[in-house]
Amino acid sequence: MVPKKSYSIEKKQARWGFAFVIPSLVFFSVFNFYPILNAFYMSFFNRKALSKAPPKFIGLDNYMRLFNPETASNELSFINSLKSTMVFTLGTFIPLLILSLIIAVFISQLSSNKSKKFLQVAYYCPAILSSVVAATIWMLIFDPRGLGNQWMNILMGTPGTDHRWLVDPVMEQVSTMVIYFWKYIGYFVILFITGLASIPPTIYEASTIDGANKWQNFWRITLPLLKPTVVLVSVMAMLQCLKTFSTQYMLYSNGAPRAPINVITFNIYITGIQQQYLSRASAMSIVLFVLMLSLTLVQFKTTKSENVEY
Amino acid sequence: MLKLKTLTLPKILILLFLFVMLLFTLLPIVFMITASMMTSRQIVRMPFNWIPEGFQWENFAKAIQGNDKTYIFLRNIANSLIVSTTVAVTTVMLAALTGYGLAKFKFKGRNTVFMMIMATMMIPFEAIMIPLYMVVMVLHIQNSYIGLILPFLVSAFGIFQMKQYLTTFPSEFLDAARVDGMGEFGIFTKIVFPNCKPVIATLAILSFRGQWDNLLWPLLVSQSDKMKTIPQYISNFALERSTDEGAMMAAALLASIPMFLLFMSLTKYFIGGSAVYESRKG
Repeated sequence: MVPKKSYSIEKKQARWGFAFVIPSLVFFSVFNFYPILNAFYMSFFNRKALSKAPPKFIGLDNYMRLFNPETASNELSFINSLKSTMVFTLGTFIPLLILSLIIAVFISQLSSNKSKKFLQVAYYCPAILSSVVAATIWMLIFDPRGLGNQWMNILMGTPGTDHRWLVDPVMEQVSTMVIYFWKYIGYFVILFITGLASIPPTIYEASTIDGANKWQNFWRITLPLLKPTVVLVSVMAMLQCLKTFSTQYMLYSNGAPRAPINVITFNIYITGIQQQYLSRASAMSIVLFVLMLSLTLVQFKTTKSENVEY
Repeated sequence: MLKLKTLTLPKILILLFLFVMLLFTLLPIVFMITASMMTSRQIVRMPFNWIPEGFQWENFAKAIQGNDKTYIFLRNIANSLIVSTTVAVTTVMLAALTGYGLAKFKFKGRNTVFMMIMATMMIPFEAIMIPLYMVVMVLHIQNSYIGLILPFLVSAFGIFQMKQYLTTFPSEFLDAARVDGMGEFGIFTKIVFPNCKPVIATLAILSFRGQWDNLLWPLLVSQSDKMKTIPQYISNFALERSTDEGAMMAAALLASIPMFLLFMSLTKYFIGGSAVYESRKG
């Protein structure tokens, strides 16, 4: 009697467990797996919204078109989109990574817990504003008569110069980077502070007794032990940067030129939604997906092999 | 380590650097607040005067009324509140349910299910928005709350968090409740759910903020002014030619108030919420 009963309890348990996960499983199938498969499928057709003609299978034409080197001269081509995404990602995530690490190390050197806490919260403040609000504020700062020019002119000693923040192609890219950097710096500072806090202080004590100074401590102990956090934060920052949309949308809608900030997501939006080329936009989506997927896999690989023992 | 009493040059430099970065992060926010009280002529005056002369109530009136006096701002902010709150609630509920199922029940294919859910973290929303947009068109749910909410009902990250948290939940409590004749669903609602408050708070904030900040999806789904959300309102308002800068900042400030209030009252969950990403590296 007893084994039979426990067997049925197990079966009942299994049924309940399955019942608990099934709603989410259905959700993800419908709203994640189906769409990505559908995007992949659609990228081989020439589907256009509002078009009466049935979509035709065109094989790899969409991809060929995206990567056709002849289109590189067209400043709104996908190749240039990839370039501006790359410029934006590198230009944002490298300063983000370095400065947030420096700030985190400096903050953790402070003696008073109150000022530690205050600085963390203060640096985090921009992150609670929405991207649209952030872009709106900075659009006013980057106004020709705005604070951006006033500050730059004081810093560089160039009174009365207009730095053409939202007009000049390079400055426009810099502007998007500044906005993004401003919004996310506090977030990454906190990630690093958490990482730093997990390094046991006894290691520093031991090395100080051995005669190491702060500078050596940082390069020989902090940085190597922080490597998993550094990898995690860089991949997260890169993934985040690859998905940027709101800032670029706001600047473009405000009249800034499109080509320098025509990042992949923005290009998908314009091509798929405004110009209604659904298949072409799907092909771009797949490229974005593959890009981000490979980055994530790199992260998994490095974090798996780099488990640090203290 | 660093004592203010013994200031040496490197320490001064460190403090100076932290102070400059502090100005960089806070001044734009201060600018938004002061500019919202100024006339547009005061805002672009050189050099900028950080202390507003007087208080331009008209800025806030204009922000709420809109340039065409339709008061659509109120409707849009309500839309954002409805969508963000609903998403926060469904995410928490479904993530807790699924996380509990994955953490405390043994069934065939459990690991496969978990891996499948984790795999969706690698599918960026930006890559599936075109097919999702087509689903919305087919179902005729554009310009509706359902359309705005549906793709965000639950997040894989939330499930992961819940599962991690509940794995350490003592199974003895659950068994005791079963012996007492409590139903499985009752155990979930009465014992498990009330005991995951820290994860619930973090998750609710993350999902609320995600939708409060969302511009891309509403841009696809909501074309009618009535169904637009607050990021759309701000962007439309800022781009209308007749909008003056003061009113623009007033609208931005008003739209940020809910997040500011949340942040002030739940700071530790915000800060903790970003730190939980750390656990992903394991």
